[in-house]
Amino acid sequence: MVRMLRQAFFCKRLALKVLLPSACVLTLVGVAYGQNQGPARPKSTVGSQGPLPVHEAFSAAAIEAGGSLFQQHCAFCHGRDAGGGESGPDLTRSKLVFDDKNGEAIGAIIRNGRLEKGMPKFSLGDAEVMNLVAFVHSQQDKALSQSGNRKGVDTSDLQTGNVEKGREYFNGAGTCVKCHSATGDLAGVATRYEGLKLEQQMLYPRNVKAKVRVTERNGRTSAGTLAFQDEFTIALIDGNGVYRSWSKRDVTYKVDAPVKAHVELFDKYTDADIHNLMAYIQTLR
Amino acid sequence: MNLFYRSMIRFGVVAGALASAPVLVAQGVSSDTLLHPPKDSWPIYHGDYSGKRHSALTQITPQNVKNLTLAWAFQTNQVAQLKSAPLLVDGILYFTVPDNIWAVDARSGRLVWHHSSPTTKGLHIGHRGVAVYKDKLYYTTTDAHLQCLDARDGKVKWDVEIADANKGQWATMSPLIVGNHVMVGASGDFDNLQGFIRSVDPETGATQWQWDATPPVGTPKTTTGGNAWVTGTYDPELNLVYWGTGNPTPVLNGKVRPGDNLYTCSIVALNPETGKLVWAFQPSPHDTHDWDAVEIPVLVDGDFHGKPHNMLMQASRNGYFFVLDRTNGKSLLTTPFGPVNWTLGVDKDGRPIPNPDKEPAPDGRLIAPDEGGMTNYRSPSFDPKTGLFIVSAAPSYSLYFAKPADGTYGWAGADYGLWKKGVLEAIDYQTGKIRWSHELGEGSPGSGVLTTASGLVFTGDVAGNFLALDTADGRTLWHAYSGSGINGGPETYELDGRQYVLMTSGSVLFAWSLPEAEHAGPARAAK
Repeated sequence: MVRMLRQAFFCKRLALKVLLPSACVLTLVGVAYGQNQGPARPKSTVGSQGPLPVHEAFSAAAIEAGGSLFQQHCAFCHGRDAGGGESGPDLTRSKLVFDDKNGEAIGAIIRNGRLEKGMPKFSLGDAEVMNLVAFVHSQQDKALSQSGNRKGVDTSDLQTGNVEKGREYFNGAGTCVKCHSATGDLAGVATRYEGLKLEQQMLYPRNVKAKVRVTERNGRTSAGTLAFQDEFTIALIDGNGVYRSWSKRDVTYKVDAPVKAHVELFDKYTDADIHNLMAYIQTLR
Repeated sequence: MNLFYRSMIRFGVVAGALASAPVLVAQGVSSDTLLHPPKDSWPIYHGDYSGKRHSALTQITPQNVKNLTLAWAFQTNQVAQLKSAPLLVDGILYFTVPDNIWAVDARSGRLVWHHSSPTTKGLHIGHRGVAVYKDKLYYTTTDAHLQCLDARDGKVKWDVEIADANKGQWATMSPLIVGNHVMVGASGDFDNLQGFIRSVDPETGATQWQWDATPPVGTPKTTTGGNAWVTGTYDPELNLVYWGTGNPTPVLNGKVRPGDNLYTCSIVALNPETGKLVWAFQPSPHDTHDWDAVEIPVLVDGDFHGKPHNMLMQASRNGYFFVLDRTNGKSLLTTPFGPVNWTLGVDKDGRPIPNPDKEPAPDGRLIAPDEGGMTNYRSPSFDPKTGLFIVSAAPSYSLYFAKPADGTYGWAGADYGLWKKGVLEAIDYQTGKIRWSHELGEGSPGSGVLTTASGLVFTGDVAGNFLALDTADGRTLWHAYSGSGINGGPETYELDGRQYVLMTSGSVLFAWSLPEAEHAGPARAAK
């Protein structure tokens, strides 16, 4: 059923995209079936979360104009083909691109940036943003219809480790059990992430919130989630969702950030340790 | 009489011409000005030819820097981040973002002119600024042309192609001008192209010479790449220019380009008259991690282990700090300045030995530092008094992948950063030991470094704070939150007896100085 749904979505998407007379659409549908019946391509990090989505149709002119803009503004970080480059992720495997229908998600990121991840914002007109969206979608479509002969990391690339050795490392030298439990917080982790995403989360989990307790000179304390800190300022979101900040000069504070233990490990792993650990973590389903 | 006027007299300007000095000066940023920049100027990307980014100015001191206040700010009203090193000539600052050049009054921050180029298909990753010679500016376009503009109004006088943007190169560089040679290179490692340094005639744009970093494209079993994209330095005594070259291509796949891949990831000494290679030293033999060696080759004269030396220092993107004898390129010191895990040690010539097991692989390799490197184009500074080489470092870890299916063209693999932070490292150049460190926060640091003879370090942190530190111990003496990320390097100059510190953040240029009443320096230039 899922497979059929997927095919239906894919056909609709192609039909929407090319806006051709129905006879041609039928031909294309045939091609789509042909592709799906070929040798199974390795599961990528996109497309494993459910059926393929419906994307808006984009004209060839929009895609071409978007390609030109992409070379100017995006290619340095995301690669000429949107397949990843210096520092920017592979957009052809991006879940966000996958889930974006008509630029609502991609457009917001282009306009606002993702400053915390080093992505700047761009001041482009609506038409330009939509052209970029068209290009990124077309690149993802191309990549999804290929059989994997392009740069990128497939889940199958990451299967060189040994589960038993990984388990040993997890319970022993890796000191993972100081904070984690295979049957507790990590139970089912391999169903929540897979492939490269899982390995990245394993090595350094993103967006983990730290706790902080701040004590003012008068002895009053506040606790909450660390919202910001630099050399001069510390800020938290308290239990009521309220943002509060202090000059570090005026207070003492204690940050509880267990994620830092992952940084300590970077100098200790061998590559084999990482691959073994990955093999083991993938069993936590 | 200030230094500027003194130097004018030395260069044969008659005293009687002083009254009309501005007009006169507008005619001439001479070779002598470039050799001995007056304190009211910043006529070269680095401030001077040495790349030390150390200023003799002392009005702002560790004692009074706490009073530093905003003199003015200039808004480019662009989204593009300022990465440019503003040049200061005759009281006017010239700086850039891709497709844009501004001329701004250095006293008031008022716009003099703005030149906007037609946009191009070239990559718009950033722009590092213009060069100036006589009354002309030299600007590299995003599609790798070199333009000569009239400094008075920004009118384009000529335009020559430096590299073919349709093949994949682009340009960001502030050219290096020595004598009547305007030297430029290009960027671009998404394609297998040849890196080069070209010298053109400042009057006509005609090519004088070109030095190629790698063999012609298509030469079997050799590398391509080696793009030079950060301004070099110059030693007038030895008459050598020093340039760093970029990484080899394909970037992450080293199998199809066996050997050291000369002259990629190299520091090269060229004769500026002929472009002939005099010596080369390779910080990253057979690079497979995108670690250009284009970081500033800083020229320092001083003692090394008891003997006087003409040295060249580079804190390289690959995580190693190098001290070379710049007369012959021989190694004096090689030492990491942060966590590195990609080598088997250092060879007898001072070159790191890459560990073959740390080349990108299908199942991934954990690599320190990450692709952005332990440092990058952001300029370091050398403080002669303390002997400290101060660099904005980025300890970092990442995963590198490459498999046969990734091919042999361009990137040919994939890499993913895991974690990164910024630390300002003050390196004792004689031992490579870190004398002090100043944490800059988690994330990517982007600010360059400036030191002054009064004992101050100016830089910026990851969060976007401008910082003034004590050079002796790295303590913070002053800070101001800039409101955005910092991607430029601080500069300083003195005008009308007032010392300014320039800093860029986001799309804004800030000028700081002491409050009017606190100017300790002499009053206006002697007249």
